[in-house]
Amino acid sequence: MANNIRNINKCIPRNSLSYIVPRLLTVQQYREYARPTSFPDFFQNPIFRKEDQAQLIESAELPKIAALPVRPPAVYQTSSAYHDPLVTKVINHVMEMGKKQMARNLVEKAFENIKRSQIERYHLASTPEAKAKIELDPKKILHKAVENAKPLLQLQPIKRGGITYQVPGPITEKRSLFLAIKWLLEATNEKERTVHFPEQFAWELLDAANNTGKVVKRKQDLHRQCEANRAYAHYRWQ
Amino acid sequence: MLSRNWRHLCRRYSQAVNFRTTENSPAQHNDKQEGLFYTINPDLCKQLFAHGGFPRSFMKQTKTFTETAIMVRQPALDLLACIKASDMSQPVIRYVLYGEKGTGKSITLAHLLHYAHEEGFLIVHVPWVSEWLRRVPRHKEMSNSQTHEGFVDLPLDAAAWLIHFKSQNQTLLKSGELKTSKQYVWSKRETTEAGSPLAALVEHGISRVKYACDVVDALIDEIKILSNAKQCKTFVAIDGFNSFFYPLTRLNTPTKRKVKPEEVTLTTSFMKITTNDWNNGAVVVTADQLAFPDDHQESYLPRYLLYKKGFEHLDPFVPIEVGRYSDKEFISCVNYYRDRLWLRGPPEIEAELKFTSASNPYRFMEQCAPL
Repeated sequence: MANNIRNINKCIPRNSLSYIVPRLLTVQQYREYARPTSFPDFFQNPIFRKEDQAQLIESAELPKIAALPVRPPAVYQTSSAYHDPLVTKVINHVMEMGKKQMARNLVEKAFENIKRSQIERYHLASTPEAKAKIELDPKKILHKAVENAKPLLQLQPIKRGGITYQVPGPITEKRSLFLAIKWLLEATNEKERTVHFPEQFAWELLDAANNTGKVVKRKQDLHRQCEANRAYAHYRWQ
Repeated sequence: MLSRNWRHLCRRYSQAVNFRTTENSPAQHNDKQEGLFYTINPDLCKQLFAHGGFPRSFMKQTKTFTETAIMVRQPALDLLACIKASDMSQPVIRYVLYGEKGTGKSITLAHLLHYAHEEGFLIVHVPWVSEWLRRVPRHKEMSNSQTHEGFVDLPLDAAAWLIHFKSQNQTLLKSGELKTSKQYVWSKRETTEAGSPLAALVEHGISRVKYACDVVDALIDEIKILSNAKQCKTFVAIDGFNSFFYPLTRLNTPTKRKVKPEEVTLTTSFMKITTNDWNNGAVVVTADQLAFPDDHQESYLPRYLLYKKGFEHLDPFVPIEVGRYSDKEFISCVNYYRDRLWLRGPPEIEAELKFTSASNPYRFMEQCAPL
């Protein structure tokens, strides 16, 4: 605590200590950064969405945090109308060697492919009911695909009596999201050399959104394995 | 009260929906249709643009949208008015379309071609000059010219262009009224007699690819003679014309010598038709940055793109700038894309897209793609 106060004294004039009081009352921030940054922990995470800001103003909490120091927002933290946390997440998973622009282009190209194929199907459909069923928004398709690819259980290797058992257990939300995206990308990369990434990724997403395809099968296989190994479940706590 | 509300509602509805015009003949387009989309008949589209004429990204859009719709824009309207008002017995007027990348020069040219087709012009259209001079596929056919010393022939490209010419001018060529003025001797056994129809000349070029370049040359001469004699009126449209003036092409002779554009026989033919020593026609060319390699795209102005040589060759010409979308055009385009399901999402997106794309038509289309 003393450490924090010393830091504060560095960055503000001495005589205006009045706003430290609400700062000390606020809860410790969780970090959104993988590694420690040059900003101390009491720096607030930026609130960059217009909706969140409106909410703050409505609940009259803005004056409380208005004077607190804030970390600078990262490049992906924009107030743009088409900001989507899951899309930025997927882009980061696609990225290799820090080439973010390339990763973004690939994902957007995949979205374009999805959109083109869906629009063509839409025009081919004859009845309005059939048309209404076709999902045209590529982002919604991505969300649905990831939702369908998320596993509900996982197998953990646990060593008991010299034998390693594959023990089924619950999975955290974060890990299941990670596995879903990872599987989608692995399925995409299992392709012919002549097929480009955006095309294959578009197909995989469409498949997964329809609850078919390689990724969903992989999830179901995992679930089946968990079911088969249910006898080992007690090793988790014994 | 009710009637006022009704009128109000009607007006609002028409503003929201009014992005299309039913006036599908370009000759009738005027300022009333500015910023509105008109649809080209698919059969006509196939006839005019089957062998090029639309940029590839636009072709993709037509497939996705299941129709070919072009926006009626100010530069095209200006040009139409100019062509209508010009005196055909005077030497041809040269028009140069210029503008930034992706502002719609080629689409404007396509609009004008549609007009020319409708008005019964003989169309001499080159879809993209760089296709001949700068694009080198694995098997580029090249040979030294037999008739012109020190010149290079591109027989396959010339034959492909003749096919394009034939399909664009089907009706005029079929009628057989256009006749050649003199005899052409290709070899000992092959001659085209004086007074044979123009279609025969074109057919000869297509079937005997070896002579395609000479046929193109002869064809251009004949077209000029026919236009001067008031037998037909001619519309010349060349996209990426500045490619003819770039110091070097990407072609190499078998002896690894770099070829200059003026050493290609096709260049000399199309230089002939862009001079103003003939009448009863119109010449529209575009100066496009994309026709040059990346390191020579500093400006989009004609003086830079055409070099001194090209500028002097075309001088005097009427420059017509194709610019970015105006507010009205942008809104109409947004409505069109929403109608075609290309743009989706909340209305705030539009202001953002307008800002990020700077109202550039191509960039706007591209940025809508992943949404």
